[in-house]
Amino acid sequence: MKKKSGLVVLPVFLWLSLFLVVPMLIVVGISFLRRDELGNLIYQFNWEAYATFFDKLYLGIYWDTIVLSVLTTLICLLLSYPLAYYIARSGPRMQTWGLALVTIPFWINFLIRTYAWVLLLRTQGIVNNLLLDLGWITEPMQMLYTKGAVLMGMVYTFIPFMVLPIYVAIEQMDKRLLEAASDLGASPSRAFWHITLPQTKSGITTGAILVYVSTTGMFVVTDILGGAKSSMISNIIQTQFLGARNWPFGAALSVIFVITSLVLIFLFNRAMTTRVDRVKEGRI
Amino acid sequence: MKSTTRFMCLLLVAILVVLPLSACGEKKQTLNIYSWADNFDPQVLKDFEEQNNVKINYDNFANNEDLLAKIKAGGSGYDLIQPSDYMVATMVKENLLAPLNKQNIPNFVNLKDSLKNPPFDPDNKYSIAYMSGVTGIAYNKKYVKDPITSWADLWNPKYKGKVILLDDNREVIGMSLKKNGFSNSTKDEGQISTAVTDLKKLLPNVLAFDTDTIKQKLIQEEGWIAMLWSGDASFVAKDNADVAYVIPKEGGTIFADNYAIPKDAKNQAMAEKFINYMMDPKVSAKNYETIGYSDPNAKAMEFHSQKYREDKMINLSDEEMKRTEWLSDVGATLQSYDRYWTELKSGR
Repeated sequence: MKKKSGLVVLPVFLWLSLFLVVPMLIVVGISFLRRDELGNLIYQFNWEAYATFFDKLYLGIYWDTIVLSVLTTLICLLLSYPLAYYIARSGPRMQTWGLALVTIPFWINFLIRTYAWVLLLRTQGIVNNLLLDLGWITEPMQMLYTKGAVLMGMVYTFIPFMVLPIYVAIEQMDKRLLEAASDLGASPSRAFWHITLPQTKSGITTGAILVYVSTTGMFVVTDILGGAKSSMISNIIQTQFLGARNWPFGAALSVIFVITSLVLIFLFNRAMTTRVDRVKEGRI
Repeated sequence: MKSTTRFMCLLLVAILVVLPLSACGEKKQTLNIYSWADNFDPQVLKDFEEQNNVKINYDNFANNEDLLAKIKAGGSGYDLIQPSDYMVATMVKENLLAPLNKQNIPNFVNLKDSLKNPPFDPDNKYSIAYMSGVTGIAYNKKYVKDPITSWADLWNPKYKGKVILLDDNREVIGMSLKKNGFSNSTKDEGQISTAVTDLKKLLPNVLAFDTDTIKQKLIQEEGWIAMLWSGDASFVAKDNADVAYVIPKEGGTIFADNYAIPKDAKNQAMAEKFINYMMDPKVSAKNYETIGYSDPNAKAMEFHSQKYREDKMINLSDEEMKRTEWLSDVGATLQSYDRYWTELKSGR
């Protein structure tokens, strides 16, 4: 039986190794090469591309990227948890509606949604015109092409990634624990901190990783809502492969990027699982 | 379960086999064009198809680098491509272009002299200019009351947060190089550094770096003043009559998208026939009337509408053209341009 089920995953296995693992290895390989004047690869092992990275300029951009991604993740979490909680605790009809409202934006192309924000936020946009008509402001505010617009765009784009895993976690929670807590005299807030929150950690972890990883890889939002004025590391990688024609450096940036993300995710995961969990799962 | 596996494997094999085959099997002659979006008048293409019993496939790329990547990979199947000036030079160096057979293109004589023998392809061995223009300053007269004459005007503190620059390192650094009296394609690190230090002082004025939607930003009056290609300026002025355009006194960058034929083209003769057809004065007039860029054909003016002939953004004066400079390939210095550009855009 075991052997047979192994055969079923064969196509997927082939697919992934052909189109995921092999390209990744090629990227790692390219990162150790050099370019000639025209951008052609010179097949000669060296660390030049990695050495370039340890430059105040690129390290600074890397740091900015991490800060923005962490900030996006935190804001998404703060906004999503109450929403997911509310949806999970509503009646079945409300749940269907709530989940539909969270997922419907996915049906519309992401670029179109981002340009919609441009229509809302620009100086002659809907928000500014409304505020001007109401007399709340006398001059249009500059909302677009700022760091704030980028952060808002990121949070907007990735919020569903946070809501859905947390919703699932809350939904699957054993509600009898809360009844027990209440019977034993715990206040609702105490029950939340000691039961609901720990029980839904897995949802938070999944959501946070999804949002963090997606944010670090995003370069469209910085271009459209940020006016291309602030670079994320993904913008730099994109230019290295196209305009600058420096594939080794672009590849090296990608490799460093993947490794740091994996380390951060590992540390985060570790911090989210208590010692008790690990004992339970037989890992210690 | 086993049959499912077999089915999946067969399906995978079938996909892998059928995909490459699906490209074959057409009998009618084809001409595969790879160019920028909306670069031709559709009717002009249709006429050529009917006259020559040929099917034109017209694919788009968004920037020169995508084009280079595709042609370099080989087997693209394109017969005619339209690289910009500096990319022609790069592709020639990379040995990717076929020399043009001028005997098949008698209409080449119609090309304006100013566009013949450009520095990126002396003797027009591999390329012929198709669409050219100059990067100048577009500004909205409603907000910008002072006359604009120089690139230095962008630095005026009055325009805080209202200046839009192209999202292109060579164009923007080249602009600042011109402002500071250098060549727009210098290989001198000191000059590049001076230009970029100057650009950093311009940052407070910069609303955004944008190439794709810069026209919309001007039409919607989000920005008041922008560096813009002459043909695009004419497009903007049609939608917003307050927008004026000037070639600054320091001069601007001249650019051209060109016809070229990849070395591995399957139908070079048809591609040359197409180029020759497009350079016929009447066809040329019809084509540029639609796409709204300046007509490189010296004999086409009489077939153009009066409106087109009087459009100063399309038809730049000889004096204005004299102040322009081509961007040339800077070789290894491109790395410096890229690093300075990253510095500028990340505000460090």
